[in-house]
Amino acid sequence: MISDRITSNLRRTFRESLLPKIGMVLLVSIVLMAVFAPLLATHDPTRTGYYDEGGNAYPPIGTEYTTQIAVDGEIQEVEVTADSAHVLGTNNVGQDVYSRFVYGARISLLVGFSATLMAMLVGVPIGLIAGYYGGRVDDALMRVADTMLAFPALVLALALIGVFGESPVYVPDPIVSLGLADGMPESIPIPGTVTIVAALVIWVWFARVARGEALSLRNEEYVKAAKSFGTTDRDVLIGHVLPNSVTPIIVLATIQVAVIILLEASLAYLGFSGTTLSWGYEIERGQDILRTRPWVSTLPGIGIVLTVIAVNLLGDWFRDALDPNLDEGQRGA
Amino acid sequence: MSIAKFLVRRTLQAVFVVWGVVTIMFGLRAVSPGDPATLMLGEGATAETIARVRAQEGLDEPIYVQYLDYVQGLLIGDFGYSWRSNREVEAMVIERIPATLELAIAATVVALVIAIPLGVVSATRRNEPADYGATLFSLLGISTPNFWLGLMLILLFGVWLGIFPTGRRPVGLVEAIWTLVAFGSAGDLLTWLQHITLPALTLGTYFTALITRLTRSGMVDELGKPYVTATRAKGLPAVLVRYKHVLRNTMIPILTVLGLQMGTLMGGAVITETVFNWPGLGLRLIDALDARDWPLMQGIIVFIAVAFVTINVFVDALYSSLDPRVNDE
Repeated sequence: MISDRITSNLRRTFRESLLPKIGMVLLVSIVLMAVFAPLLATHDPTRTGYYDEGGNAYPPIGTEYTTQIAVDGEIQEVEVTADSAHVLGTNNVGQDVYSRFVYGARISLLVGFSATLMAMLVGVPIGLIAGYYGGRVDDALMRVADTMLAFPALVLALALIGVFGESPVYVPDPIVSLGLADGMPESIPIPGTVTIVAALVIWVWFARVARGEALSLRNEEYVKAAKSFGTTDRDVLIGHVLPNSVTPIIVLATIQVAVIILLEASLAYLGFSGTTLSWGYEIERGQDILRTRPWVSTLPGIGIVLTVIAVNLLGDWFRDALDPNLDEGQRGA
Repeated sequence: MSIAKFLVRRTLQAVFVVWGVVTIMFGLRAVSPGDPATLMLGEGATAETIARVRAQEGLDEPIYVQYLDYVQGLLIGDFGYSWRSNREVEAMVIERIPATLELAIAATVVALVIAIPLGVVSATRRNEPADYGATLFSLLGISTPNFWLGLMLILLFGVWLGIFPTGRRPVGLVEAIWTLVAFGSAGDLLTWLQHITLPALTLGTYFTALITRLTRSGMVDELGKPYVTATRAKGLPAVLVRYKHVLRNTMIPILTVLGLQMGTLMGGAVITETVFNWPGLGLRLIDALDARDWPLMQGIIVFIAVAFVTINVFVDALYSSLDPRVNDE
């Protein structure tokens, strides 16, 4: 499975270069932020109506801005310095920008990792079987793969969501149900269709890589030897072919997590996500007020960029340490 | 295998892929909720009108008859009528092609012009400041969602600096060139250039980053090969070796990836067009989706699939002329 050589390679490249360390620190921080979101958030991220006296959204603390305040019964434009309970201000419907930023990490990570896992569970067995047996099964798979790849991932996702709706799945928040964070939402909506669609869009890449591995491994001496002892195909696949294909699949999975996080953000931006607690959705919401309240769109974008950078840095680390032959061509979707 | 035979085989595969896309789209439409006649006529339509439209559109036929009708129509270039506007889908697709094509080409030009020199510099000056800069740039480029990048460019260049317009396409490239040739006025061309700059940068950044990475890693591999040492020992100047031999060999895998990434480019175009209100196919696709206008949606997606596989057949042909070994398979 994961040999000593691989672990020592991983350890060595981690020690020797700075980038994997940065990626690791970033990703761990973002995961912690997502897990403990109810404790870190200062306000309920879904609660609206946090406005200043003039009925305007708060800018980030310390910003000087103009608002209307009633002085002696008369509305006046005044220059004030923002000083509210909202560290990073509020958005156009008066929600706390910082709290929504913290919660947004949950959607990105959950969709990114669960869709990739699903795609792996579907794609790897299909690819292994196709590559191992070859012939018609293999031909059929490759044609299906070509067809899937002829759809731009985003377009395919949009078409599927058009058919199946958005179906958000409400997952109870463990921290809130333990009573650790009062006043925070009791459950968060995971975009159900988006997750499944994302998996549907990328499983082909896993099938292709697994197929390639199985194709080259089936002629290896040890596989032939195992078969000559009477080992069944199923046991050869699970016992020999799968463990030897793990490395490229892990590298591919890391790249795909980054791809999916970007895909989810794009779908949410276009309004097809099914949850409003997503960084992509928040960017869209800030678009109309970009000129007057640029912070609303800016912050969630930084969240996406940092998360994807973290995943990409770890992906580069895996690739350099595990499989120098895997190339950028698999940055699919 | 000769090039001709290779191309015939690839073309047949391409036809199969397009058929697959057509069939999947038809299947999706068949299982999608909502009665087409009601979608076409709106909620207020009477049962009679709905029944008449159903009969007219062949919606009462068995599903396989509808499928055969649809495929037959596509073969003679009849994509059906938009449910929303009742116009011919093929006309609605064709009129939007120039805008998207301009955007895609501009983005590819941006990507190639920046990425290849950057990748070469990065590979030949490994572990120097220039290499770190290029690596950081490409990491940022592949990690930034393009709609957000677009908004940030609008904020920076449109709102704060006021250098570029932030949306729309008041004039097409062909008309702009026509005014230049016929009337000697470059004004339209300038307007076009101003309007396409931010969208092209938005769409092109991901590719710039990707190609920079590919060029760098490809060059690093190639530079370590014995023939490089041999040609250098023979006395050929480093620059000549680098650009004539090494870069050429590096371009082969880059081309393949570029072909495969056309799908990403189309997806990116959908987003970019939405951000900048750029009237291309992508924006029309989003409108069609919002309105559940299936014939239009299908038409656009089938068109994209045809474009994608055609480009890839061309890429394969180019590939086989760059690398003769491909034909020996």
